[in-house]
Amino acid sequence: MDETATKDLVDLVRRAQRGDEAALHELIVAYQNRVAGFVFAITNRRDQVEDLSQQVFIKMVRAIDGLQAPSQFESWLFRLARNTCIDQLRRQKLRRIFLPFAEEHENIAEPAGAVDTEELDALRHALAQLRPQDRALLALVQEGRSHAEIAVVLATSVAAVKARLHRAREHLREHYQSNHEP
Amino acid sequence: MNPEEKAWNDLRAAASSRLRPGFARGVLRAARGLGEGAWAALRESAAACLRPGFASRVVRAARAAAAGPSYASQLALSAVTAALCLAAVLLLHQRNQQLADERNLAEWRAIAAFAQEIDVPGR
Repeated sequence: MDETATKDLVDLVRRAQRGDEAALHELIVAYQNRVAGFVFAITNRRDQVEDLSQQVFIKMVRAIDGLQAPSQFESWLFRLARNTCIDQLRRQKLRRIFLPFAEEHENIAEPAGAVDTEELDALRHALAQLRPQDRALLALVQEGRSHAEIAVVLATSVAAVKARLHRAREHLREHYQSNHEP
Repeated sequence: MNPEEKAWNDLRAAASSRLRPGFARGVLRAARGLGEGAWAALRESAAACLRPGFASRVVRAARAAAAGPSYASQLALSAVTAALCLAAVLLLHQRNQQLADERNLAEWRAIAAFAQEIDVPGR
């Protein structure tokens, strides 16, 4: 992001922090597609993209006043998104343990390939083979987060992030290149 | 077809039956590797899941959530309701107890008076 864009973003965030609805709306419009992609990469569920994205932005609206450094907005937003997705996956896992037959469709991955392109289908298949934490890691990198920022999000060291990222990329490449058929 | 040609054909057939369906596409994908295109397709696909007016809906929902009662106030309301119910139950119990005591006392008084009436002095 260049200097002007960063300055514009900081101004927008400051206006949003003062409760300016137009600024909040503008922020959501600016980031909704990226957040939706991020959520999809982690959950691999099209039917959850809108709900989870909405949850992320509602948390953003309610907590933006407390954001100390508006220049860190993007990093902060994707941390919110990552935590929201991981929490949702944890809740689903718990529900699966306590109510194994209650919502049986919730845990079944939607069939890939029906509407996806070959490339997207292969990526979704490959992502589905990874742990949610690794999917989140790769998605954070795709969103342009630096190793240092990711280390803060995951409360770990930069070296650990690099190692985990290397392994996650290897696994992704391996599954992406395998002869998966829908 | 001579036996040698037939053997070669059988070999080819056996080898090709070992290939999974979609072999060619898999090879192409492996050769190209995981490019930005796949991630871009993922983002596009996800963005298409958002219905029009998403931002306006989120702002409205956030405002509605903020205007609604907070968790602490709901907890306080529940605690006050529970305390009032408990007080009402205790009050009712005490009142019933008092009425029962009064009734029993009146009955004992009546029995005592009756005993005094039928009691013959000097017996």
